[in-house]
Amino acid sequence: MSTPEYLARRLLQLVPTLIAILVVVFALVRLLPGDPASAILGDRALDADVERINREYGFDRPIPVQFGIFVRQVLTGDLGDSTSLKVPVAQLIAERLPITMLLTLMAALISVALAVPLAFVAALCRDRLADGMIRGAFQVGLSMPVFYLGLILLTVFGARLGWFPVGGDGDGLLDLLYHLVLPAITLALSLAAVLMRNLRAAIIDVVDADYVTFARSKGLRGSLVLLRHVLRNALISTVALFGLSIGTLLGGAVVTETVFAIPGAGRLMVDSITGRDYPVVQGLTLALAVLVSLTFLLTDLLQAWLDPRIAR
Amino acid sequence: MTDAAHLEAAVAAGRPRRARPPGPLVWGGAILGLSLFLAAAPSLVAPYDPLAFDYGAILQPPSPAHPFGTDNFGRDVLSRVIHAYRIDMGIAVFATVVPFVLGTLVGAVVGYAGGLAETVFGRVVDAVITFPFLVLVIAIVSVLGPGLINMYIAVSLVGWVFYARIVASEVKVQKRLDYAEAGRAMGYTHARIVLRHLLPNAITPAIVYWMTDMALAILLGSSLGYLGLGAQPPAAEWGVQIAEGKNFMATAWWISVFPGAAIVVTGLGFSLLGDGLAALLRVRR
Amino acid sequence: MSAPLLSVRGLTARFRAGGREVTAVDDVSFDVGEGEVLGLVGESGSGKSVTLRSLLRLLPSGARVEGQALWQGRDLVAMPDARLRRVRGGAISMIFQEPMTALNPVLPVRVQIEESLRAHTALDRAGRRARARELLDLVGIPDAARRLDEYPHQFSGGMRQRAMIAIALASEPRLLLADEPTTALDVTIQDQILKLILDLKDRLGMSVVLVTHDLGVVAETCSRMAVMYAGRIVEQGGVREVFASPRHAYTLGLLGSVPRAGTERSALRSIEGTPPGLAAIPPGCAFNPRCAFATTVCREVRPDLSPRTPGHLAACHHSDRVAQASLAA
Repeated sequence: MSTPEYLARRLLQLVPTLIAILVVVFALVRLLPGDPASAILGDRALDADVERINREYGFDRPIPVQFGIFVRQVLTGDLGDSTSLKVPVAQLIAERLPITMLLTLMAALISVALAVPLAFVAALCRDRLADGMIRGAFQVGLSMPVFYLGLILLTVFGARLGWFPVGGDGDGLLDLLYHLVLPAITLALSLAAVLMRNLRAAIIDVVDADYVTFARSKGLRGSLVLLRHVLRNALISTVALFGLSIGTLLGGAVVTETVFAIPGAGRLMVDSITGRDYPVVQGLTLALAVLVSLTFLLTDLLQAWLDPRIAR
Repeated sequence: MTDAAHLEAAVAAGRPRRARPPGPLVWGGAILGLSLFLAAAPSLVAPYDPLAFDYGAILQPPSPAHPFGTDNFGRDVLSRVIHAYRIDMGIAVFATVVPFVLGTLVGAVVGYAGGLAETVFGRVVDAVITFPFLVLVIAIVSVLGPGLINMYIAVSLVGWVFYARIVASEVKVQKRLDYAEAGRAMGYTHARIVLRHLLPNAITPAIVYWMTDMALAILLGSSLGYLGLGAQPPAAEWGVQIAEGKNFMATAWWISVFPGAAIVVTGLGFSLLGDGLAALLRVRR
Repeated sequence: MSAPLLSVRGLTARFRAGGREVTAVDDVSFDVGEGEVLGLVGESGSGKSVTLRSLLRLLPSGARVEGQALWQGRDLVAMPDARLRRVRGGAISMIFQEPMTALNPVLPVRVQIEESLRAHTALDRAGRRARARELLDLVGIPDAARRLDEYPHQFSGGMRQRAMIAIALASEPRLLLADEPTTALDVTIQDQILKLILDLKDRLGMSVVLVTHDLGVVAETCSRMAVMYAGRIVEQGGVREVFASPRHAYTLGLLGSVPRAGTERSALRSIEGTPPGLAAIPPGCAFNPRCAFATTVCREVRPDLSPRTPGHLAACHHSDRVAQASLAA
């Protein structure tokens, strides 16, 4: 199979996934106990209001018809209006989601930058002091809740030392990046731990493989053997894990944004839940799931590029 | 087999078998044993009532009378941390037991049946893993309303998928082995082959994952508590406590720091136990 | 005979594993002459592959190598890393048993040849490309220009082994270390690859150390041979002499398992029992538990490797009885 064929097949696989996402998001509000109208209006809603909402959202129609309406609306970019902010949900998401994506991207880069070199050190010093210390530190990192770590970093490096701002999104892109440094580190640590652990094991598997010994027997430099022969093969499974971890990272972003008062999609999600703003919750859930499935696509392509056996 | 591989096997065979259980198992077991004890009988250990206000002792730093200090209502932080073991260990168990049982059964059926069941299940997995777990759970909680019970329901609705995936792939491997073939040849019912023969062998990776999952459940439960969507104040729960102390971090760090430390230690206990079990049961993770 | 190309003296390799040390290669000495093919024979675990890898210090971390391996007056065992790198893949190349696992699965064959050329020659980019193509032609891979950009999994087993040989030959080595190069291949392909190696040896004027467990292969290709058991060389000599009149009970047993012409080669299974694990090598002669000639002295005193006839060495207390037995058979 050629690379374009693989790409086409992988894009085709996106279709059922997107349909499944739509079904789940649709079911979220409608199939859970209680009728959606009173869920939106609260328990003491007047009958007249309930009827109005039912008409407005089509809640009085049969479920399949409702789903049809829902899909048509989503495809035309209409995700309804926020009940509390009175603006289109699509517009809210377009404003807030980029901040969350930026935060997640920074966190992903930081975690890779931490995990790769430390995994090498740990794997090459296997069962010695450096390995034990790196693994111990990451084991603690793995058990540390995002909001707790965030609070500590915020207090120490924000409030106490004053190196970083204590919250918000700043003014302009550069200031935004500056404001996102601490949150991104907070978010990155547990992913770095997961990746480090996986990559360390993969490197240990690969480093005594025949093809690495063969590469050494060719008289290549140690660094070339490590980068071209060891790292590239070890990364294949780590890239898959990285893709699967994006969802966790976005979930962590919801909490991190709350801790650092960053006005991103995560903060919007929490605020909307508190304010019972269901159209926003629904729209955000949909947007985040689509984002994750696109990330899966990207990491699959990256994996296929690393490992020619997948796409050919 | 190459000479080098043979060499390794020979070296391994000559190595004396270790009689004592591996270190992680012992440490993890000790931490969790203590945690379970504190969850079962917090009042035996806690020096104060975790909910009792004492306006005469507000925001006191750690001292012999209050080893973890007091919060802004004068409540003893140590007593609240100890009592929180009941809720947080409860979260670890109750948020994972339904997914574990349900997921294992579904996984066994799917792995054994294969075919259409496997295809449909594959689609379900694809759909579920595209939703950020925390986002999906809080979206469900938002519809059901905040609180622990609704959180258990939300987690169970999603969490079984991961167990089912692990068990299904394991059962698929096991059913090709000789003894399963023999079972079919002897005319055992499908249910008997799955429950008596395949599942006991296929379940070990699920058990190892369960340990990890309990640590994740505590992280999730305390996160929801922190966001105000899980356990509700004034209940003693680590996430709730950290949220209560967040505005006092600069002046009274002990309100938040000690509950957080309890989360880290308990999480370490679960992951050590998981690592130990994985080594003991020879599960690759 | 002129001075040997490679002279190995007292080569010993130890591994640390599970808190104890095991000796995988114990006091091994041999010479490789100019243009010679030396066979290193033994069962799995006898230390023959480890011996080969010790020469270029290619053992996993934690292994210790002692002794001497004199190459053009310099000791490979004591040589600084940077210098050894120039020898590896330069003057001495190595090929492995499993071409599937020894070629990097994620790199095109071209990259795997050119990186070797880059390390050992002054060729520029275009020069390396041209040379890579020549090398594939040389080892008999058809349609070389196209196949260079393919990945190992797109090659058949025999073609993979040819590709590996091409990589090993990249900088025209003077010595090729071949670790069971045909074991993983079909019988018909085995013969093709052996012929290829011998042919290349003549054309390029190389010497070869061929590790194998297959005495048939030794008979076809080697001029001299060394038999290894439990990490030591137990018999060494010209192939004709050793085959005609083995002086070690173990070699005699091995020869009993050589297939007659026309039958398929099988593993060496005619000797009762299995070779000892490295952690439990018996005292005295390591072969004594499996040996029909064993007496008390074999269980107590380790025999030295010493000349029995000129150029024919054996480490056996009863080499005369063994020689008589082989004549009687």
